[in-house]
Amino acid sequence: MLADEIAALLPRMRRFAQALTFHREDADDLVQIAMERALGRSEQWEPGTRLDSWIFRIIKNAWIDEVRSRTRRAELFAPEEEGEHVGDDTAQAHQQRLAIQKAISLLSEEHRLVVGLVLVDGLPYKEAADVLEIPMGTLTSRLARAREALQQLLADTTPRTR
Amino acid sequence: MTYSDETLMAYADGELEPAERAAIEQAMQADPAIAEAVARHRALRQDIAAAFAGILDEPVPARLQPPAAAPVAPVLSLDAARAARAAQATPAPARRRWSWPEWGALAAMLMVGVLVGKVVPQGGQPAIAGNGNQVVAQGELASALDRQVGGKDAGAVRVGVSFAARDGGYCRSFVMGTSAGLACREGGQWRIPVMAEAGAEAQGAYRQAGTELPPAVLDAIDARIAGKPLDAAGEEAARARGWEVRR
Repeated sequence: MLADEIAALLPRMRRFAQALTFHREDADDLVQIAMERALGRSEQWEPGTRLDSWIFRIIKNAWIDEVRSRTRRAELFAPEEEGEHVGDDTAQAHQQRLAIQKAISLLSEEHRLVVGLVLVDGLPYKEAADVLEIPMGTLTSRLARAREALQQLLADTTPRTR
Repeated sequence: MTYSDETLMAYADGELEPAERAAIEQAMQADPAIAEAVARHRALRQDIAAAFAGILDEPVPARLQPPAAAPVAPVLSLDAARAARAAQATPAPARRRWSWPEWGALAAMLMVGVLVGKVVPQGGQPAIAGNGNQVVAQGELASALDRQVGGKDAGAVRVGVSFAARDGGYCRSFVMGTSAGLACREGGQWRIPVMAEAGAEAQGAYRQAGTELPPAVLDAIDARIAGKPLDAAGEEAARARGWEVRR
């Protein structure tokens, strides 16, 4: 049953949505909206094509349509989260995770989408281009620019020791 | 030979054909700057993947599950239905295991007496009544089903999803106290094909998760719904027509 196959993608849907909205509740709202849309128009999915690409496209469109306007970007970084336990290893990993998530949230929407698909979810370029409905060449150049922007943001916020 | 940053990125992402890949590997050995650029792309990819990896292991909130995959909460009245069936001499048809909607429907019939006691508002009229072999809403429940739209103005009865059923009429789910059910408009009344209780155990986790409908009710919705639930505007419009389908 299609609903079960979509349900199996929920963890990936949530992860992708969190890369986009940057706020857990917004991300889950987005997944819920996408889920409802997907089930409501399941006849539009063509068997034999990738279900994950189809679902991600629905998430992308839902994000653009409905959730983007109320992204509460600032709230994720509650003060107590930012400066906790400096020094120990897990705290450092935690800090790095926050730094990366924050850097992604500062990207343009276009860039956030390619990063979410290719670097967060790990989709091949071709599928990512499919989801975004753009040519491969556009995808690669957009991804390269997004990475550059990310490197820049990360260099600014976290002096790395590597 | 120099390579564009895009090509090095594609190499780091495993997107190049074998021939190109081999060429880059050679170039990396010859030129430390190229090796470094590739390493930077790889490190970024790994760091980002690691930053989001934890989300995959989190339990998925129940509200995100499609109705059919929703976790199973016990239907309290099932035991009552079973006991009643055992007490009656009538053997149940043995052709197949009963599905939840059937259990629910049977339970609704058998439980009328019990539930009526529970769903009588203080001093008010019972919320459901047996009418021949049907269970219909009345009193507070009927008026909430008539009037409540967009999840607003919920009193003792909270109306959940509303939708057009495959047979053409409107149906609405509702929660009343610890009972939940489905009501379908038929012949100018709200007929209740299924009503069940969320078990005591279910009330914590299940309710918190945002969906309060027991599986019997979810299945009954699933079995009837044509298309998508009505949005607020759709509910308003249906209410304006008295929940009767335009012919």
